[in-house]
Amino acid sequence: MSAILAAQEVFKIYQMGTNSVTALDNVSLEIGEREFVAIQGTSGSGKSTLLNMLGGLDHPTKGEVHFASKPLGPFTKKEMARYRRFSVGMIFQNFNLIPTMSARENVALALAFGGLRGQQRRARSSELLARVGLGDRLEHKPSELSGGEQQRVAIARALANNPKVLLADEPTGNLDSTRAHELLGLLREMVNQDGLTILMVTHDHELANSFADRIVFMKDGKVVL
Amino acid sequence: MSFLDILHLALRNLRQAKLRATLTTMGVIVGVAVIVTMVSFGLGLQGNMLERFKALDFFNEIQVYGRGLSNLAGLDRPARRDDGRREPSARGNRTPTRILDEAGIKEIAAINGVAYVEPSVNFTVYVRSNDKLLSQFVGGANIPNASTRFQNFAAGRMISSPTADEAVVSERFVRDYGYDKPADAIGKTIELLAPASDKSNDAQKEQEEETPNFFGIPLDDPGIDESAPDVETRSFRIAGVLAAEVREGAGQGGMRGMMPSAGIYIPLPTAHDWATRHRGPMSQVALALARRGGNLGEGQSEGYELAVVRVADPVHLAEVRQKLSDLGFGSFSIVDELDEIRTVFLIIDSVLGLLGGISLLVASFGIANTMIMSILERTREIGIMKAIGAEDREIKLIFFVEAAVIGVTGGVVGVLVAWGISALANRLAYRFVLKPQGASFIDFFDLPLYLTVGAILFALLISIAAALYPASRAARIDPVRALRHD
Ligand SMILES: Nc1ncnc2c1ncn2[C@@H]1O[C@H](COP(=O)(O)OP(=O)(O)OP(=O)(O)O)[C@@H](O)[C@H]1O
Ligand SMILES: [Mg+2]
Repeated sequence: MSAILAAQEVFKIYQMGTNSVTALDNVSLEIGEREFVAIQGTSGSGKSTLLNMLGGLDHPTKGEVHFASKPLGPFTKKEMARYRRFSVGMIFQNFNLIPTMSARENVALALAFGGLRGQQRRARSSELLARVGLGDRLEHKPSELSGGEQQRVAIARALANNPKVLLADEPTGNLDSTRAHELLGLLREMVNQDGLTILMVTHDHELANSFADRIVFMKDGKVVL
Repeated sequence: MSFLDILHLALRNLRQAKLRATLTTMGVIVGVAVIVTMVSFGLGLQGNMLERFKALDFFNEIQVYGRGLSNLAGLDRPARRDDGRREPSARGNRTPTRILDEAGIKEIAAINGVAYVEPSVNFTVYVRSNDKLLSQFVGGANIPNASTRFQNFAAGRMISSPTADEAVVSERFVRDYGYDKPADAIGKTIELLAPASDKSNDAQKEQEEETPNFFGIPLDDPGIDESAPDVETRSFRIAGVLAAEVREGAGQGGMRGMMPSAGIYIPLPTAHDWATRHRGPMSQVALALARRGGNLGEGQSEGYELAVVRVADPVHLAEVRQKLSDLGFGSFSIVDELDEIRTVFLIIDSVLGLLGGISLLVASFGIANTMIMSILERTREIGIMKAIGAEDREIKLIFFVEAAVIGVTGGVVGVLVAWGISALANRLAYRFVLKPQGASFIDFFDLPLYLTVGAILFALLISIAAALYPASRAARIDPVRALRHD
């Protein structure tokens, strides 16, 4: 099992005036292809920070992130943008949908960055939203959708350009357990059927146990098995 | 991401802050409208003036002069009251070496490109007509005459032959002498009054000085008697009345071409003869000095002071002037002044354009301000776009396109507004100024395509320049930071 995404002795230190916060403290982690990994940890343990490093949104203070055995460090800004666009899909803790755009437009925007045009773009955005069960909510704005529905739009957007890896920050945080089961079932299916690799932050140990292949625990910026 | 997508996003952003976008665009509209109105007014002013000059034959006529009598007499030139503005070298041949006599006139007429040459002879004289006596400016005219001065007659026609005792008068003459209408003056007589010719006059004067003396004591003073026999008259029949120039725009009435205009025209030989026989005292002195100094041989003609050369096409003006100078004559044409006039207009246009430019500059600050506001509002949105893979270039482009849309919209509407303003100003000027004066409609503005396109491009350029900083600032937004806060 070769690692598709790996963190190697990654540090992230935030300098806050005179005192510094070590958000990630020598984190090493390997995620194999088609693996479904869950991350658990207390609040402020550095889970979101790690996801940002892996997703190419931020650079580690020290250490290196590898995607398909290639280090991200030497990437240019443009290559980094391409990496975010095509290689990884991210679902944020607070969805981060564009509030003035409909569900379809939010997904279509990602497709537009991916270079899809016109009819193809329309068709693909409808298809993606239908896949996450929002076929009848295409023209709804985020404010007209429930938290769970917004979360699913975010998933559809993250998968828009067929990424290899999905990085999900508490995708079930706002869902009741039935909905959460449904959603994780969907993600599991994507791993099994479409060959997706998933790294998911969750607080719910029971959910992580029943859907993930492996659970990683974090505490104070460190991975504690 | 295709350009169409970028445009779509930019338009969407503008739509979301409609009022702000509209107000920002207003700034550009005002700037462009000011530039275009001002500059097109300047261009119109210039165009109208040059057009008028052209219509008045200022561009195809040259004044030629030879060695004048004062020069022949050895008169010294006074120190020039020179403001240093004109360097003589640029103004053609100013120091003629030759007398402009009949032979010279013939040579000039033979120059390639010369349509005709007409000596200028004129003098002021008392003229009686319709029982009124007035001082008049009389000019000589070549017969037949191809000049545009003699194309429009209010009544009658041109003098029939160079030897005819006929005259052409101006419409003004008709009014001054109390004729009801131009047609009434046709066939009437005018009398030019002058002292009896030189010799008899001198003899009479000597006699007069003898007669009233008695042992040196004057016996009586005869005073000035108009009806005395020493006044010579010469009669002409009015053959035609010239139509007055239509009053239009700048330089109304006045000159036409380089030939001084007169109230009465008589055949050139007659006028020349009159002018030499009844020369003024200064001219008499100059002639005497010239002959005594040997510059003017006994019996040699002093020639003409001035002649007007008309070129067939203004294009040949410079060549003809060169030939004239080769022949030894001096020349003057309005075209000399034209370069200076053009420079003045260039300055006027630049100042006007600058005023507009400043208002557009102000508008550009408005654009920059709008962009920055919009970035502050959309930080999160930009962060999201970057997180899902937008390149810096694409983020920048969105802002540039937004600015460009504002610039082009403002430019186009600004040009339309300027166009409306000029149309309105023309209407108003015609209705309240020109029409009451009996003048015809004038377009005071000149809005060439290059000005329209140039103004729009300038607005576009300024707008994009205004977006430079905001766009790069937007591209620098850190997605992690932008997305962290709720
Ligand atoms: N930009 C920043 N500047 C300073 N400190 C930061 C910054 N981002 C994160 N931190 C700090 O780093 C630590 C890890 O934060 P992070 O968001 O990764 O935690 P988390 O594990 O995702 O917590 P939660 O479960 O509440 O989302 C926290 O102590 C946080 O205060
Ligand atoms: Mg977090």
